[in-house]
Amino acid sequence: MYGWIWRHLPGPLFLRVVEAVVLVAGIVALLMFVVFPWAEPKLPFNNVTTQ
Amino acid sequence: MPPSRPRPVEPPTEVIPRVEDDYDDEYYDDDEYYDDEPAAKDVPPPDSMARKAVRGVGEALITMGLVVLLFVVYEVYVTDLLSAEKQQDATAALDSEWSSNVVTPPPADPNRKSQLNLIEGKAFAKMYIPVFGNDWKFSVVEGTTDKHLEIGPGHYKDTAQPGEAGNFSIAGHRVGKGAPFNDLDLLQSCNSIVVQTQTQWFVYRVLPMKSEVAGWASNPKSKEAACAGVAPLSTTLGDAYAKTVGQEIVVPTQGEVIAPIPHQVGATVPADKQARLLTLTTCHPRFSDKQRLIVHAIETKSYPVADGFAPPEMTEG
Repeated sequence: MYGWIWRHLPGPLFLRVVEAVVLVAGIVALLMFVVFPWAEPKLPFNNVTTQ
Repeated sequence: MPPSRPRPVEPPTEVIPRVEDDYDDEYYDDDEYYDDEPAAKDVPPPDSMARKAVRGVGEALITMGLVVLLFVVYEVYVTDLLSAEKQQDATAALDSEWSSNVVTPPPADPNRKSQLNLIEGKAFAKMYIPVFGNDWKFSVVEGTTDKHLEIGPGHYKDTAQPGEAGNFSIAGHRVGKGAPFNDLDLLQSCNSIVVQTQTQWFVYRVLPMKSEVAGWASNPKSKEAACAGVAPLSTTLGDAYAKTVGQEIVVPTQGEVIAPIPHQVGATVPADKQARLLTLTTCHPRFSDKQRLIVHAIETKSYPVADGFAPPEMTEG
């Protein structure tokens, strides 16, 4: 998977490194701001109230 | 001229097939040493399906592990940042509200009733726990849904208001989201919890722990100044309060801990006979929601809010 992505990044080495960093940052941001906030209430970690 | 020595005949360069060695070819790929060799760099044979599949599964597992680690970072650190901003906004809104409408403190009234106009999601009081340090202060909002608790500790709707007879109950996160109640388990009996509304300060003190109830009268701690007004409720208010001690751990379904008289849901005790309690709830053990950690405290003092005045209890570090 990672090898495949690396081979398909266009441009010279320097550019490819930049592209890879941007990709990783984008995925981390997607997780932090969209996926985790959505998933968190569904997980049994942080309920603090009694019923 | 001496006869020239016969030069050995240079044998023609013999091309021998490349020897398969143990070295990983890829590892030496960028080694210049091999660069003058003819382009014998054979392209590695295409990976077999099995190899591809194994690699794909391995990479997927590593990726999932990284995502889980990232989730921990999110839960423990990132939510703190997001909540800190919301808490700040709530506090700013509360401060501007307090400074804009002038309310005279109500006269001291033992049967005081609720006077605060509580709006869900809005802060209405500030809370301090001096033993956690001067910087431990949170604005308490009305409501206990996830959205409310992201802002700060949340007041259970329909429980008493600060200083009211009954049970002023607050929930707060233990991990992440500002983690206001992270150290709730460290509270000892007689530690003060100070609540400030627009007009009044209320000082609550943690009740004696279950292990201290029996020997409280002979416990040297009970003579300390901090413990003035603190005694096991079963001795001062009777058996209805027998289960109300400083700290308890219950299962999430035990909502009776925030009843006006904890653990006595059906009890019909007139309001003027009820103690003025404060109950804090959070999750337990840390990082889990299997149980709830409960701290009960009783009001021992109240002061009217005045400019430049802070209760002496605030400095009990």
